[in-house]
Amino acid sequence: MTGHTPAPDDADVGRPRTATDSAPAVPRWAGRWSAGTAQRLGLVLVGAALVVLFGSARASFYDQQLTVFPLLRDIAVFTVVGLSQLATMSIGHMNLAVGRMAAFSAMFMGIAYQQWHLPLYAGLAVGLLAGAAIGALTGWIISATGVNSFVVTLAMDFALLGLVSLTYSQLTTVAAFTAKPAGMDELRGYSMADVCVGNVCGSPAIPQILLFTIVAMLLVGYLYSRTRTGRELLLVGSNSTAARLSGVPVTRRVIGAHALSGMLAGLAGFMLAVTSGSFTAGIGSEFMIPSFLGPVLGGTLLTGGAVSVVGTLLGTSLVQVIRQGLTTLGTGLENLNIYLGVILLLALSTDRIRSVVSARRAVAHP
Amino acid sequence: MTHPAAHTGPTKPAEPAEPAEPAEPILSADRLAKYFPGVRALDGATLHLRAGSVHALLGENGAGKSTLIKVVTGLYRPDGGRLALDGTPIDFHSPQDAVRAGISVVHQERNVIPEFSVAENITLRRIPSRRGLVDRDRMRAQARRCLDLLDLDLDLDTRVGSLSTAQVQLVEIAKALSTDSKVLLLDEPTSALTLRETDRLLDIVRRLRDQGTAVLLVSHKLEEVFAVCDTVTVLRDGVSVLEGEPIAAYSREDIVGVMVGRAHTAREFAPRTVDPHGPPMLELDALSTASGHCDVSLDVRRGEIVGLYGLVGAGRTELAKALMGLDRVVGGTIRVRGEDVRIRNVGQALNTHRIGYVPENRKEEGLFLDQPLTMNIAVTVWSRIRRSLGYIPARRERELAAEYTERLGIRVSGPSQLVGQLSGGNQQKVSLAKWLAARTEILIIDEPTVGIDVRTKAAFHQLIWQLAADGLAILLITSDLPEMVTLADRVLVMRDHRITGEVPNTHDYASVSQAVIRLIHGTGSGSLPTAAPDPSNPDPACGFEPSNRP
Repeated sequence: MTGHTPAPDDADVGRPRTATDSAPAVPRWAGRWSAGTAQRLGLVLVGAALVVLFGSARASFYDQQLTVFPLLRDIAVFTVVGLSQLATMSIGHMNLAVGRMAAFSAMFMGIAYQQWHLPLYAGLAVGLLAGAAIGALTGWIISATGVNSFVVTLAMDFALLGLVSLTYSQLTTVAAFTAKPAGMDELRGYSMADVCVGNVCGSPAIPQILLFTIVAMLLVGYLYSRTRTGRELLLVGSNSTAARLSGVPVTRRVIGAHALSGMLAGLAGFMLAVTSGSFTAGIGSEFMIPSFLGPVLGGTLLTGGAVSVVGTLLGTSLVQVIRQGLTTLGTGLENLNIYLGVILLLALSTDRIRSVVSARRAVAHP
Repeated sequence: MTHPAAHTGPTKPAEPAEPAEPAEPILSADRLAKYFPGVRALDGATLHLRAGSVHALLGENGAGKSTLIKVVTGLYRPDGGRLALDGTPIDFHSPQDAVRAGISVVHQERNVIPEFSVAENITLRRIPSRRGLVDRDRMRAQARRCLDLLDLDLDLDTRVGSLSTAQVQLVEIAKALSTDSKVLLLDEPTSALTLRETDRLLDIVRRLRDQGTAVLLVSHKLEEVFAVCDTVTVLRDGVSVLEGEPIAAYSREDIVGVMVGRAHTAREFAPRTVDPHGPPMLELDALSTASGHCDVSLDVRRGEIVGLYGLVGAGRTELAKALMGLDRVVGGTIRVRGEDVRIRNVGQALNTHRIGYVPENRKEEGLFLDQPLTMNIAVTVWSRIRRSLGYIPARRERELAAEYTERLGIRVSGPSQLVGQLSGGNQQKVSLAKWLAARTEILIIDEPTVGIDVRTKAAFHQLIWQLAADGLAILLITSDLPEMVTLADRVLVMRDHRITGEVPNTHDYASVSQAVIRLIHGTGSGSLPTAAPDPSNPDPACGFEPSNRP
C-alpha cells in the first residue's frame, strides 16, 4: 500500500477524449521557468539597487579605471569558476577541489610557457587538457568506488595541494612561473577600447578577458539546453537510478561532468593568472566558496537536475558587486567576509525554500 | 468495463457470535477499515487473538494482511472499526504505544539498523541504560537471552549489515521477543529461512503459545500454517471472509478456495491471436545469473503476454534486470529474435535489441519527478533524433511527447508539466510511454498497477492488452492474480529464483489461480519440489551458490 495521492480526475482515463485533453497550448517551460526567470530578475534588481546605493555613497564606485574594470574582470573570472561548479552540480555532485584543479591546470600552463616555450593559446590548451584529465580522474574514482563526491573531491583537493606546491618548489626558484608568452600582458590590461572597428572603439571599462567568459557561457549553455549529453547530465542529477534504467550511460556522464568541471576550473585559473601576471601555486585558493555562490544564487539546484548559466553570471555579479562596493566603502576584510557568509547562507536556504514551495505547490495542484 | 477483481461481497457473512469459544480474546479488532486514496485496503476486517493460541492470517497479495497488522500495531490509524486489548478500547498513536501495551511484531519488511551490532538491534526498543549511558553488560545479557530462546549462536558484536538474509530475519524475531509481550505478530517470518530454521521458529512459536502468548502468523506457506496454527482468519479484498475458525475443519484446498473466492468475471477485451508456432522474440535457455537464478527457461512470442508470477523475493525483478544488462549472466543463453545475444547495459538492450523495462518502483526507478514530461518521454529517443554536434531538436521532442500523451491518454496541462505533479496512474503511463516512444518490441512490465486505483487499473489493462495486439512481446511481472488472469496468455510461476511450473490461462479465474497458488506453495503435483531448496546447499545444476548470501 503506497500513500500516493491519485488526482480525482485520474479515473477518467477511460473516457472518450476530447480536443482539450491533448497537450493544450501552454507556453513551453511555463511554470518551471517563469519561477526561475523571476528569481533571476530579482538578482538583476537587487544588483542594480546596490550599484545605485554604492554609487551614491561613493562616486568613485562609478570610476571606470579604478572600479568598473577590475569589477568586471573579477566577474569574468568567478563566473567561469561558477560554471565549473555548475557542471558537477548538474549531476547532483560537488567539486570541492575546484580551486586546486585550477592551480593544477595553471601549473601546466606555466610549465608550457616557461619550460616548453609554447605560444599563449597552445599553453592554454595544454592546461585545459590537464584540468579535464584531473576532473575525469575524479569522476572515474567517484563512479568506480561509489564514494560521495564530497569526500572524493575533498581528498583530491588535498592531494593536488601537495602535488602543486611540490612541483612549483622543484621547478622554480621563486615559486612561480613568470615567463610571459606574447599577448599575455595585452590580455591582462586591454579593454574593449583597444578593439576598434574603423573609428568606433569599445568601452574602456570592459576587459577583453570577459570574452573568454562569454565563450564559456555560450558553450556550456548550448550543452545543457540543446544537446543530448547536457540533457542526460541533468537526468543523472535528477535521478541516477532511473537514468541508468532508461539507458543513459551514467558512468560516462559522471566522468564527463567532472572533466568539464576540471576544464572550466583550468580556464578560470588561466584567467586569474593572466590578471595577476604570473602562474603560482596559490591560484584558485579562493575559488571554492564563490564557486557555489554564483550558481546557487542563480537557480542551479544543489541536488542536481536544473542549471542556469545566465543565473550563474547574475549570481556571481551580485556577489562581486557587494564585495567591490564594500571595499569601496572601506569595509575591512573581516566584515566583508561576514557579509559574504550571510549571503552564502541565504543562497543555500533559497535552494531549500524553493524546493519546499514547489513541493507544496505540487500537493496543492496535483 | 468490469474489473476482474470485482467480487460479489463476502461469500460468507460473519456469524454474530462464536459461542463455543472458551476464552475472551486478548486482542480484538472488529470491522476495521483503512482507506488509501482510491484503495480500500481494509473494509471490514475482523480478527480476534486469544492467549495460548496460534492464529493464522491468510489471503492473497494485496488482500490487506500487512495493512491489518500495521493498524493493529499503531503504524496506521484505522478509518473505522474498533480495536480492543483485554476488553479495553485502544487507540495507538505510534508503534511505541503498541510496544508498551505488549504487542510485538516482526514486519514483512526488514527493520534493522545495518550499522548497529546484533545486541544493539535486538534491544533497540528498550536499550538498558544506567545514568543516561548504555549499560552494555545488561544489553548483552538481554540480547543473549533472546538469542538463546531461538537456539541461535550469533556473535553479539557482529554488525547486522554483514549477516545473511536469514540471519537478519532471525535477529528481527529475537528483537520481537526482547519485549515480553502478550501478543506476537509475525508477518511472513519464514520467507528467508531454511527448512531447519523454519522448524526451529515453529518450535519457539509453540513454546510461546504454551507460555500463554497470543501469536498471529501470516504466511504464504500453507504447510507451516497447518503445522502450527489453531485457528484461521482469511482476508479477501480487505474483508475477512473467514473469521477465527478452527483450522482443523479445513483442508488446504478449502483454504485456497476461500482465499481466491469464486466470483471473478472474465475480461471483455477483443480477442487476440498468438501464433503458437511463431518464432519467439525473446527466449531464455537455462539462464543462470549472479543474483541466483538457476536454469530459467522461457520464451515470449510476438503479440503474446507471458505472465511471471511469484512471491516477493522470488527473483522476478532481478530476472528483468538481468535481461536489461544490469546483472551478470553466469550460464545459459538469451536469444532475441532467434540470435544469441549478450546484453551489457540498458542502452544496448534498448537500442540494439529493442527491449524495454517498465520498473516496479516508478518513482525511484522509472521517472524523473522534477523534470518536465518531455524529458521523461524523450530520454530513450535522443540517440535516434540527435543531429550533428549532439543537437536535439526540441520541436521533435515535444511532438513525440504530445504523440504518446495522446495515445496513452496521459492527463497533463502541457508538455512542460513536471511529472512529480501528476497522479500515480498518469505517472505510470509516462513510465511506459518512454519505451513505446523508443519503439521497443519486447517489453518487460513489472507490477504495473501497484498503488493505482481500480478504474485506472482497468484502463491500464486495456492498454497492455492493446500493446500485445499491436505486436509487442510482453513479459508481465505481477503479484496481482486477477491482473495475471485478465492479461496473461500463460502464467509462469517463479519460486526461489527458478521457474517451478507453467499454467495455461484458461481465463477461468478459480482454476488458474488455484493452480498458480499450488505451484507457489509447493502443494502441487508430485513432479514439483514440495519444499524450498536449502539455500545453504548449493545446487549442483547451476554450479554456484544461489542467493541468500551475506
